[in-house]
Amino acid sequence: MRVSELMSKNVETISPEKNIRQASRWMRDHNIGSLPVISDGKLVGMITDRDISCFAVAMGHNPETTLIKNIMSVDVVTCYDDDDITHAAYLMEQRHIRRLAVVDHNSKVIGLLSVTDLARRSHKLSGKVLEAADAIH
Amino acid sequence: MNICDFMQINVHVVKPETQIKDAAHLMHDHHIGVLPVMKNGQLVGMITDRDICCKVVATGQDATQITVEEVMTKDITTCFTGQSITDVAYLMASHQIRRMAVMDANNKLAGILSVDDIAHKSHDLASIILEASAVPKH
Repeated sequence: MRVSELMSKNVETISPEKNIRQASRWMRDHNIGSLPVISDGKLVGMITDRDISCFAVAMGHNPETTLIKNIMSVDVVTCYDDDDITHAAYLMEQRHIRRLAVVDHNSKVIGLLSVTDLARRSHKLSGKVLEAADAIH
Repeated sequence: MNICDFMQINVHVVKPETQIKDAAHLMHDHHIGVLPVMKNGQLVGMITDRDICCKVVATGQDATQITVEEVMTKDITTCFTGQSITDVAYLMASHQIRRMAVMDANNKLAGILSVDDIAHKSHDLASIILEASAVPKH
Protein backbone atom coordinates (compact mmCIF):
# COMPACT_ATOMS: atom_id res chain seq x y z
CA MET A 1 0.00 0.00 0.00
CA ARG A 2 1.18 3.51 -0.82
CA VAL A 3 1.74 6.22 1.79
CA SER A 4 -0.79 8.46 0.01
CA GLU A 5 -3.60 6.04 0.89
CA LEU A 6 -2.96 6.28 4.67
CA MET A 7 -1.52 9.74 5.30
CA SER A 8 -3.51 12.68 6.65
CA LYS A 9 -3.88 15.07 3.76
CA ASN A 10 -5.18 18.42 4.90
CA VAL A 11 -2.05 19.36 6.74
CA GLU A 12 -1.81 22.57 8.68
CA THR A 13 1.55 24.30 8.22
CA ILE A 14 3.20 27.40 9.65
CA SER A 15 5.82 29.97 8.71
CA PRO A 16 9.24 29.98 10.44
CA GLU A 17 8.80 33.71 11.12
CA LYS A 18 5.80 33.22 13.43
CA ASN A 19 6.45 33.21 17.17
CA ILE A 20 5.95 30.20 19.38
CA ARG A 21 2.86 31.66 21.02
CA GLN A 22 1.22 31.66 17.59
CA ALA A 23 2.38 28.09 16.99
CA SER A 24 0.97 26.92 20.32
CA ARG A 25 -2.41 28.52 19.54
CA TRP A 26 -2.46 26.92 16.12
CA MET A 27 -1.77 23.50 17.67
CA ARG A 28 -4.42 23.96 20.34
CA ASP A 29 -7.10 25.24 17.99
CA HIS A 30 -6.51 22.55 15.36
CA ASN A 31 -5.96 19.76 17.86
CA ILE A 32 -2.57 18.79 16.50
CA GLY A 33 0.79 18.10 18.07
CA SER A 34 3.12 18.92 15.24
CA LEU A 35 3.35 21.43 12.42
CA PRO A 36 5.50 21.31 9.31
CA VAL A 37 7.29 24.64 8.91
CA ILE A 38 7.14 25.97 5.36
CA SER A 39 9.09 28.82 3.78
CA ASP A 40 8.64 29.77 0.10
CA GLY A 41 6.72 26.57 -0.45
CA LYS A 42 9.51 24.37 0.90
CA LEU A 43 9.69 22.31 4.06
CA VAL A 44 12.32 23.86 6.32
CA GLY A 45 11.52 22.25 9.65
CA MET A 46 9.01 20.76 12.04
CA ILE A 47 7.77 22.04 15.39
CA THR A 48 5.90 20.06 18.04
CA ASP A 49 3.98 20.83 21.21
CA ARG A 50 6.84 19.17 23.04
CA ASP A 51 9.41 21.51 21.45
CA ILE A 52 7.42 24.43 22.81
CA SER A 53 7.02 23.11 26.35
CA CYS A 54 10.29 21.29 26.84
CA PHE A 55 12.62 23.68 25.07
CA ALA A 56 11.08 27.12 24.97
CA VAL A 57 9.31 27.04 28.34
CA ALA A 58 11.96 24.99 30.12
CA MET A 59 14.72 27.32 28.94
CA GLY A 60 12.77 30.45 29.81
CA HIS A 61 12.42 31.78 26.26
CA ASN A 62 9.81 34.50 25.75
CA PRO A 63 6.97 33.02 23.62
CA GLU A 64 6.31 36.39 21.96
CA THR A 65 9.86 37.04 20.83
CA THR A 66 11.07 33.49 20.22
CA LEU A 67 10.43 32.56 16.61
CA ILE A 68 9.61 29.12 15.34
CA LYS A 69 12.80 29.08 13.29
CA ASN A 70 14.80 29.38 16.52
CA ILE A 71 13.53 26.18 18.08
CA MET A 72 12.16 23.98 15.25
CA SER A 73 13.83 20.72 14.26
CA VAL A 74 15.54 21.24 10.93
CA ASP A 75 16.46 17.61 10.34
CA VAL A 76 13.01 16.48 9.19
CA VAL A 77 12.60 12.94 7.95
CA THR A 78 10.39 12.74 4.86
CA CYS A 79 9.01 10.09 2.56
CA TYR A 80 7.31 10.28 -0.83
CA ASP A 81 3.58 9.89 -1.26
CA ASP A 82 4.16 6.98 -3.64
CA ASP A 83 6.52 5.12 -1.26
CA ASP A 84 5.26 1.84 0.12
CA ILE A 85 4.11 2.04 3.75
CA THR A 86 6.63 -0.65 4.75
CA HIS A 87 9.40 1.70 3.63
CA ALA A 88 7.85 4.57 5.58
CA ALA A 89 7.58 2.38 8.68
CA TYR A 90 11.20 1.33 8.23
CA LEU A 91 12.26 5.00 8.14
CA MET A 92 10.36 5.71 11.37
CA GLU A 93 11.92 2.69 13.05
CA GLN A 94 15.44 3.57 11.95
CA ARG A 95 15.12 7.18 13.07
CA HIS A 96 13.19 6.35 16.27
CA ILE A 97 10.32 8.69 15.37
CA ARG A 98 6.53 8.45 15.19
CA ARG A 99 5.68 10.53 12.15
CA LEU A 100 7.00 11.55 8.76
CA ALA A 101 6.34 14.52 6.55
CA VAL A 102 5.12 13.30 3.17
CA VAL A 103 6.34 15.16 0.08
CA ASP A 104 5.62 14.84 -3.62
CA HIS A 105 8.38 14.69 -6.21
CA ASN A 106 8.45 18.49 -6.36
CA SER A 107 9.40 18.56 -2.65
CA LYS A 108 6.01 20.00 -1.73
CA VAL A 109 4.55 18.82 1.60
CA ILE A 110 1.26 17.08 0.88
CA GLY A 111 0.68 15.05 4.02
CA LEU A 112 1.81 13.60 7.32
CA LEU A 113 2.07 9.92 8.10
CA SER A 114 1.96 8.92 11.76
CA VAL A 115 2.30 5.64 13.61
CA THR A 116 -1.44 5.94 14.28
CA ASP A 117 -2.11 6.01 10.53
CA LEU A 118 0.00 2.86 10.19
CA ALA A 119 -2.04 1.15 12.91
CA ARG A 120 -5.15 1.42 10.76
CA ARG A 121 -3.52 -0.79 8.16
CA SER A 122 -0.95 -2.96 9.95
CA HIS A 123 -0.57 -3.61 13.67
CA LYS A 124 2.75 -5.24 12.96
CA LEU A 125 4.19 -2.11 11.34
CA SER A 126 2.82 0.29 13.96
CA GLY A 127 3.91 -2.00 16.80
CA LYS A 128 7.47 -2.14 15.50
CA VAL A 129 7.59 1.66 15.15
CA LEU A 130 6.40 2.11 18.74
CA GLU A 131 8.96 -0.37 20.02
CA ALA A 132 11.75 1.51 18.27
CA ALA A 133 10.49 5.01 19.14
CA ASP A 134 12.39 7.19 21.57
CA ALA A 135 10.77 6.65 24.93
CA ILE A 136 8.73 9.64 26.04
CA HIS A 137 6.53 8.49 28.85
CA MET B 1 0.61 -11.12 31.69
CA ASN B 2 0.84 -8.65 34.56
CA ILE B 3 1.58 -5.02 33.85
CA CYS B 4 4.02 -4.78 36.79
CA ASP B 5 6.59 -6.64 34.74
CA PHE B 6 7.02 -3.92 32.14
CA MET B 7 5.62 -0.63 33.44
CA GLN B 8 8.00 2.23 34.24
CA ILE B 9 8.71 2.21 37.95
CA ASN B 10 11.22 5.04 38.26
CA VAL B 11 8.66 7.79 37.94
CA HIS B 12 9.46 11.47 38.33
CA VAL B 13 6.70 13.41 40.07
CA VAL B 14 5.87 17.04 40.84
CA LYS B 15 3.83 18.82 43.50
CA PRO B 16 0.72 20.91 42.82
CA GLU B 17 2.65 24.05 43.74
CA THR B 18 5.56 23.31 41.38
CA GLN B 19 6.11 26.14 38.90
CA ILE B 20 5.26 25.28 35.28
CA LYS B 21 8.73 26.24 34.12
CA ASP B 22 10.25 23.75 36.57
CA ALA B 23 7.90 20.99 35.42
CA ALA B 24 8.89 21.69 31.80
CA HIS B 25 12.54 21.50 32.83
CA LEU B 26 11.98 18.12 34.47
CA MET B 27 10.27 16.82 31.32
CA HIS B 28 13.15 18.07 29.22
CA ASP B 29 15.93 16.71 31.42
CA HIS B 30 14.40 13.26 31.87
CA HIS B 31 12.94 12.92 28.40
CA ILE B 32 9.40 12.42 29.63
CA GLY B 33 6.07 13.76 28.48
CA VAL B 34 3.94 13.28 31.56
CA LEU B 35 4.40 13.91 35.28
CA PRO B 36 2.14 12.57 38.02
CA VAL B 37 1.23 15.27 40.53
CA MET B 38 1.53 14.15 44.16
CA LYS B 39 0.18 15.78 47.31
CA ASN B 40 0.86 14.17 50.70
CA GLY B 41 1.67 10.89 49.01
CA GLN B 42 -1.55 10.83 47.00
CA LEU B 43 -1.90 11.14 43.25
CA VAL B 44 -3.97 14.27 42.61
CA GLY B 45 -3.41 14.84 38.89
CA MET B 46 -1.24 14.50 35.82
CA ILE B 47 0.44 17.14 33.69
CA THR B 48 1.74 16.64 30.14
CA ASP B 49 4.02 18.52 27.78
CA ARG B 50 0.92 19.23 25.67
CA ASP B 51 -0.85 20.81 28.67
CA ILE B 52 2.03 23.26 29.00
CA CYS B 53 1.88 24.13 25.30
CA CYS B 54 -1.89 24.49 25.04
CA LYS B 55 -2.90 25.75 28.47
CA VAL B 56 0.06 27.98 29.34
CA VAL B 57 1.89 29.18 26.24
CA ALA B 58 -1.22 29.39 24.03
CA THR B 59 -3.18 31.33 26.62
CA GLY B 60 -0.45 33.90 27.08
CA GLN B 61 0.37 33.02 30.66
CA ASP B 62 3.80 33.32 32.22
CA ALA B 63 5.29 29.90 32.97
CA THR B 64 7.10 31.29 35.99
CA GLN B 65 3.90 32.68 37.49
CA ILE B 66 1.56 29.71 37.42
CA THR B 67 1.71 26.35 39.08
CA VAL B 68 1.10 22.79 38.00
CA GLU B 69 -2.16 22.73 39.96
CA GLU B 70 -3.66 25.34 37.63
CA VAL B 71 -3.22 23.34 34.43
CA MET B 72 -3.01 19.68 35.45
CA THR B 73 -5.74 17.19 34.62
CA LYS B 74 -7.44 16.25 37.86
CA ASP B 75 -9.92 13.70 36.62
CA ILE B 76 -7.48 10.95 35.69
CA THR B 77 -8.03 7.33 34.88
CA THR B 78 -5.80 4.88 36.70
CA CYS B 79 -5.29 1.13 36.68
CA PHE B 80 -4.01 -1.34 39.24
CA THR B 81 -0.90 -3.46 39.47
CA GLY B 82 -2.83 -6.71 39.35
CA GLN B 83 -4.58 -5.98 36.08
CA SER B 84 -3.73 -7.80 32.87
CA ILE B 85 -2.17 -6.08 29.90
CA THR B 86 -5.33 -6.76 27.89
CA ASP B 87 -7.59 -5.11 30.47
CA VAL B 88 -5.40 -2.04 30.68
CA ALA B 89 -5.02 -1.74 26.91
CA TYR B 90 -8.78 -1.74 26.43
CA LEU B 91 -9.13 0.76 29.30
CA MET B 92 -6.66 3.09 27.57
CA ALA B 93 -8.47 2.64 24.26
CA SER B 94 -11.86 3.40 25.78
CA HIS B 95 -10.53 6.57 27.40
CA GLN B 96 -8.49 7.50 24.33
CA ILE B 97 -5.27 7.88 26.29
CA ARG B 98 -1.79 6.55 25.71
CA ARG B 99 -0.37 6.60 29.22
CA MET B 100 -1.81 5.59 32.53
CA ALA B 101 -0.81 5.80 36.19
CA VAL B 102 -0.60 2.37 37.84
CA MET B 103 -1.67 2.15 41.49
CA ASP B 104 -0.78 -0.52 44.04
CA ALA B 105 -3.14 -2.28 46.46
CA ASN B 106 -2.82 0.63 48.90
CA ASN B 107 -3.81 3.11 46.19
CA LYS B 108 -0.26 4.48 46.01
CA LEU B 109 1.41 5.30 42.70
CA ALA B 110 3.42 2.26 41.59
CA GLY B 111 4.37 3.24 38.06
CA ILE B 112 3.37 4.54 34.65
CA LEU B 113 2.36 2.38 31.73
CA SER B 114 2.48 3.72 28.18
CA VAL B 115 1.38 2.45 24.81
CA ASP B 116 5.09 2.06 24.00
CA ASP B 117 5.52 -0.31 26.95
CA ILE B 118 2.55 -2.31 25.70
CA ALA B 119 4.02 -2.45 22.18
CA HIS B 120 6.97 -4.38 23.54
CA LYS B 121 4.55 -7.12 24.58
CA SER B 122 1.79 -6.93 22.00
CA HIS B 123 1.71 -5.06 18.70
CA ASP B 124 -2.03 -5.72 18.41
CA LEU B 125 -2.97 -4.27 21.81
CA ALA B 126 -0.75 -1.22 21.32
CA SER B 127 -2.22 -0.61 17.88
CA ILE B 128 -5.77 -0.88 19.19
CA ILE B 129 -4.95 1.95 21.58
CA LEU B 130 -3.55 4.05 18.74
CA GLU B 131 -6.58 3.42 16.56
CA ALA B 132 -8.93 4.43 19.36
CA SER B 133 -7.31 7.85 19.70
CA ALA B 134 -10.02 9.90 18.06
CA VAL B 135 -8.05 13.11 18.09
CA PRO B 136 -5.46 13.04 15.35
CA LYS B 137 -2.35 14.34 17.04
CA HIS B 138 -0.06 13.89 14.06
